[in-house]
Amino acid sequence: MPVIRLYYRYLEKLVGTDRETILANLPMIGSDIERVEEDHVDVEFFPSRPDLFSVEGVARAMRGYLGIETGLPRYSVTPSGIEFSVDPGLATIRPYLGSAVIRNVKLDEESILSLMGLQEALHWAVGRGRSKVAIGIHDLDAVTPPFRYIAAEKSRAFVPLDFDREMTLDQILDEHPKGRAYAHIVSDFPRYPLIVDARDRVLSFPPIINGELTRVTQETRNLLLDTTGTDERAVATAVYIICTALADTGATVQSVTIGGRECPSLAPSERIVSSDDASALLGVPLDSTALSSLLEKMRYDAGPAGVSHVRVLIPCYRADIMHDWDIFEDAAIAYGYGTFDAEMPRTFTVGAPHPVMAIYAVAREVMSGLGFQEVLPFTLTNERVLATKMQRPLKDSVLRVMHPISEEQTVVRTDLLPLLLEMCQLNRHRELPQRLYAVGDVVGGTQTYPRAACVSTHAAADFSEAYAVADAFCRELDVAVSVEESDDPAFIPGRRGNLVSGGKTVGVFGEIHPAVLNAWELEHPVAAVEIDLTAVPGYPGQQGTP
Amino acid sequence: MDLSPNEKRLLVLLDKVKTADPSALAAEMGVSPESVIQYAYLLADRGLCRVEKEVKTTYSLTEEGQRYASEGLPERQLLGSFNEKIPVQELTRHPLARIGIGQMKRKGWVVVRGGMVEKTGKDAPGEDELALRDLSRGGPGLAELRRRNLVTENLETRYRISVTPEGLDWARRGLDMSEEAGTLTREQIVSGSWKGLKLRKYSLKAPPRKIYPGKIHPYQRVIEEMRQILLCMGFTEIYGGIVQSAFWNFDALFQPQDHPAREMQDTFYLKETLPLPEGYERVRDMHLFGGNTSSTGWGGRWSREKAEQCVLRTHTTCLSIQHLATHPEPPVKAFCINRVYRREAIDPTHLPEFEQLEGIVMDRDVTFRHLLGFLKEFYHRMGFPGVRFRPGYFPYTEPSVEPEVFVPSLGWVEMGGAGIFRQEVTAPFGITQPVLAWGLGVSRIAMLRLGLSDLRLLYKSDIGWVRETPSWLHGPDTGVGGQKCR
Repeated sequence: MPVIRLYYRYLEKLVGTDRETILANLPMIGSDIERVEEDHVDVEFFPSRPDLFSVEGVARAMRGYLGIETGLPRYSVTPSGIEFSVDPGLATIRPYLGSAVIRNVKLDEESILSLMGLQEALHWAVGRGRSKVAIGIHDLDAVTPPFRYIAAEKSRAFVPLDFDREMTLDQILDEHPKGRAYAHIVSDFPRYPLIVDARDRVLSFPPIINGELTRVTQETRNLLLDTTGTDERAVATAVYIICTALADTGATVQSVTIGGRECPSLAPSERIVSSDDASALLGVPLDSTALSSLLEKMRYDAGPAGVSHVRVLIPCYRADIMHDWDIFEDAAIAYGYGTFDAEMPRTFTVGAPHPVMAIYAVAREVMSGLGFQEVLPFTLTNERVLATKMQRPLKDSVLRVMHPISEEQTVVRTDLLPLLLEMCQLNRHRELPQRLYAVGDVVGGTQTYPRAACVSTHAAADFSEAYAVADAFCRELDVAVSVEESDDPAFIPGRRGNLVSGGKTVGVFGEIHPAVLNAWELEHPVAAVEIDLTAVPGYPGQQGTP
Repeated sequence: MDLSPNEKRLLVLLDKVKTADPSALAAEMGVSPESVIQYAYLLADRGLCRVEKEVKTTYSLTEEGQRYASEGLPERQLLGSFNEKIPVQELTRHPLARIGIGQMKRKGWVVVRGGMVEKTGKDAPGEDELALRDLSRGGPGLAELRRRNLVTENLETRYRISVTPEGLDWARRGLDMSEEAGTLTREQIVSGSWKGLKLRKYSLKAPPRKIYPGKIHPYQRVIEEMRQILLCMGFTEIYGGIVQSAFWNFDALFQPQDHPAREMQDTFYLKETLPLPEGYERVRDMHLFGGNTSSTGWGGRWSREKAEQCVLRTHTTCLSIQHLATHPEPPVKAFCINRVYRREAIDPTHLPEFEQLEGIVMDRDVTFRHLLGFLKEFYHRMGFPGVRFRPGYFPYTEPSVEPEVFVPSLGWVEMGGAGIFRQEVTAPFGITQPVLAWGLGVSRIAMLRLGLSDLRLLYKSDIGWVRETPSWLHGPDTGVGGQKCR
């Protein structure tokens, strides 16, 4: 989640109160304070509230929450007369364009950094790493309107930001750091998006990089904003958030004509919500007046529309309001989470363990009673553990993760025994005898199965110990088994057996093969048992999805 | 001062004989002389007797020496085998020639001249021959015989055991001579002979033998405590598959298909697919335009293929929604504690798999206030008396809340997340009543309870740690003990 740096001096000025009050209330409007420093605080805001990714946005919300200024913040937009055309060839590449002109900005080093921070946070939260939306901010006075958003030949060239020479679009994707980072978004298309001015000079190669020509500096007074993307709503949201943040600094927002429409309109949207619904959700009685005044604190315009309804005007920058409950949550925040009288519901129900968990609990009890200590191995493992070191073939049903983090964790375990031997290896320095067990899920194909396994290692560990443990465990779990010769290569021939129940092999036991012991660097014999707990009477069957 | 029965018997004997060697005492006591020496030293440690040790050297003939003692030394035998002179070549055929010729020359009994061995006549018996007849003569003859390995030296240790005045004193004061037994036998118990039996006392100064019982893993024990709390609170346990379709893991929970959490760097994707359930279209419509609720939905596109793709479940909420889908009628109270998977590299605070606890309550007229009530009750039972709430964000709940609990050593600690399932989540499954939901990372509580700072220790079990961690877990900070079922 994006971390926003808020300098107290500027924040105090914008909010109109002291830092202590602000710091105490930041978590209550929905944020995690990361670090409190001498002159600033780093705050993580929720991804649902990109309007809080700038100091201006935070100040706006804070003024409402503290009751300094409530209701809808109003923004006026006048036409700039500037036209911005969209090439129909972009329809399959990156079809949507948003734009605005912002005049009379006063930029210093701090506010340029803040604007870049907002832009990056929006790229992450709204733009999904620039694929859905990318934002460009330009010095308007360096270029000549009208502007055109075109699908350009890959051989077009311009000087990208931070470079001093012309490069073709393909060269930028290959050589520019931003090109390499974002090439995947456009590289499959025959043509690339490009923004040019009336004299065909390049402003931007969205979503990759701006041109050096329109670099924003402390001398820049008028800005041109471009947002391009694949989602119309997200493209508009990015424009609203940047325009309102800049307007809060005293700048003037002007619209641009795109396809005959003026963009942006910073007008609110409207929703009629029921105060009865709000009361039912939150558990506090709220009439339309009470609900309205809570919402005013959250920077909505809200007024009773009849006894039990409220007409709510939602600021354009609130991209997260999708449903009435989103508005009710804001009412709850304004009410104060600490103010709610927490109460247990009177719902009467009788609890019950899940049958598989109940089987696991008894398996643990029996294994512990037999003198074994429980371990909790990982479920992610690898082929060497499951197969190579065990002298076993890898099961056909083994599940591989598509993009493993490391070579150690490439598949999901199909058995528990190999992981117990790995555990013995890790504990070679510990006193013998070691008797370890694990109960838990294994996976075959897309199905999950419950298992139990144990190992015993000491100078006298042998087949009879394994046989006795397998027998005792099956008796205690009420699994009727017969035994037959096993051909499991992890065990010594003639010292291994299969547990058979209902005509199906449900387990294996015996003395581990010395070659397997060598592979695990174990120096003492190991008696081992593994059993499939689906054989336990009362096992509820596969846990399918509805 | 406690004497063992054997020490007592020896002391009584010494009172009679005053002084004796171990073999005499051994015969009297019916034990080996070595045992007598051992008991005597124990008595000597207490000043009750004196043990004098004398080491005496004796000599005896080796097997070869014994033969020569009766037949004469090889050189003497060889000398007697010829008259005045004999050709060397002939003499070498004698079986003792190899040792004999050299010795005869050395002792000056013969000279060798022109291939002939000639006697000198100076062949009186030497010191060695005298010593061979009588070893007690000692002297250079004996030394020579030892050098030739015809005699061996024996060290003989002799003990003299005598009672001290203190020992006499003790013996006369009277000793309790009843028998002590090491083990209590079945025969003694059954026959009643145990009544006259004195069982040997053990010293409490020696440490006990260390044994390690079979046991449940400490982390599993913490999980069991939580299960018990939830079962006591009337929750039904849910369990389900590790492999889930993205539909159940994400789409059914209204996570948009382009949500960052769904990306490959955060989730373990699998090449397998699972079919979508009947009625999946209602979930699709919810994403596209909000279905038949007041929601706008996410807009954009919704891909069936993306929903069918399998993942290792990233949370247990996928099991909660499936439980609700199959139990849409109120009331429902259910919980799940199980393993979930995130694509994280392993370090002390991150693991690609860990346990998550999740609880849901669905009923008529339950509200946000009840959610907070449940959270307070749950955390109280977990041993956290201080609980507070602040706003939170989770994609599938609205309103959302982040509970914090007070831990004396750490202050306020964020402990999981909670909220009411969005209607976008519940409506497609015909659930009309509010669903209160909360979840938390179980490992975090376990680390507090077990005093660990490295998550990996919970899974890469050090058996030493498992052995030494008590099964009864309690602690002033986070003690659950005693709060479980009231």
